Amino acid sequence: MTVTIISERPSDTRSVPILTDPDVCHYPEFASFLSDTFGLADNPLKAPGLLDVDGRGYELIFIGRSGRPFPAAIEIAALVPGLKPMDEAQTTKDLWAILEWIIEGVGEPWTIDDLRTTAEIFRVLPE
Amino acid sequence: MPIPYQEHTVYRTIQDLGEHIASRYPYESKFASVNGWRMHYIDEGPKDAPPVMFFHGNPTWGWLWRKVLPPFLEAGYRVIVPDQIGFGLSEHPHTPSAHSLDNHAANLVSLIDQLDLSNIFFVCHDWGGPTGLSALLTRQEKATAVAVMSTWAWREPSADFHRRKAPWGMLHAPLTGPHIMGRQGAFPGRSMYLSVVDRELMLEDSLTAYMSVTPDVGDRRLTWQWPRSIPINPDTDIAGDRFDWLEAGVRKLNIPATILWGREEVVFEASVFATHWKEEIWPHAEGPHMFTGNHFLQEDSGAEMGELLVEFASRHVPI
Repeated sequence: MTVTIISERPSDTRSVPILTDPDVCHYPEFASFLSDTFGLADNPLKAPGLLDVDGRGYELIFIGRSGRPFPAAIEIAALVPGLKPMDEAQTTKDLWAILEWIIEGVGEPWTIDDLRTTAEIFRVLPE
Repeated sequence: MPIPYQEHTVYRTIQDLGEHIASRYPYESKFASVNGWRMHYIDEGPKDAPPVMFFHGNPTWGWLWRKVLPPFLEAGYRVIVPDQIGFGLSEHPHTPSAHSLDNHAANLVSLIDQLDLSNIFFVCHDWGGPTGLSALLTRQEKATAVAVMSTWAWREPSADFHRRKAPWGMLHAPLTGPHIMGRQGAFPGRSMYLSVVDRELMLEDSLTAYMSVTPDVGDRRLTWQWPRSIPINPDTDIAGDRFDWLEAGVRKLNIPATILWGREEVVFEASVFATHWKEEIWPHAEGPHMFTGNHFLQEDSGAEMGELLVEFASRHVPI
């Protein structure tokens, strides 16, 4: 699966929240990666970050919190066409690809190998 | 303030969890409002008997203690088992700041005050240690004895497990933690299955009781949020000062204490943690008493632990 940053929101889609984290600063390197990648330092409250995963769209909504660096929190949402039901199994696979993309971007000491090892231990690695 | 749940039938009770669970945790559900949150607890035995309070951790609830309780009730003690806010049949707040270590400890203090307890025997496991012991130190005049198991009360866990990225780091890191533990339900699901000795028994006997009270993603928030209060990362430490206060307090605590541990414990290894309790924190404590058990040793050896704790209580907190 290939994750790429896109600049235009896919048309006629609705936003379905699939994963939220109220504290992406818990390990600051995660917040730094997202801020650098989506240029949040200059304009933190611009449009959400957009990702394409093999033709399916996702948006990253960045959220502030008083007293915390920006972004403090994040919501990841699937951009689902029209009123069609979300393909939950495919979305979970895509979300996993996004998580690996983030871990790769954050870099050492965080590694995709460690992420996959953890997922294998808990049997949540998508097939 | 007590909540008369009979007038609020929307709240799930032990009975609502089905015969499989209710028959083996056959106690009356009670509720109290603690700092604005709805806390579920059981309160069994004579009201004028010495109270024994059992504090669970992540990702369990009062059910964890079901095999430990009968010896206490048979001996005539009063047993009180709260479900920590965020777990079990208590309210599961989605507000992140609800889940600070301070707030969880204060919730237990509130329950102790509302029940007007004294002469308490505190029994603490996992996060029931930092929270229950903080409550004990806050109401020290009400504490008569204490027992700890698979827990800690100092700033940094000193085992390698908590410093590894796989699995521990990934289980609470931004986004990967909420996904694996929350969205995919690794806690309490597979984590508890892996953290007992008799896994078949766990599957047949108990796992559904843990999963049935955390059925949805939002119900599992505390499973990945609580680990973030462990001060591993100095840059974003949110509880280090509380742990420093806690360690200073427990070191000075000079009440009868006992240490119980699982021989097969892999998260809080006995050679590190039980030894630290005995040699550094409470040299006067009894134990460590070793039982067949991994992190959730109550699942494998609950009845035996109950017998030992009652014998300890009979000497230090007599009826």
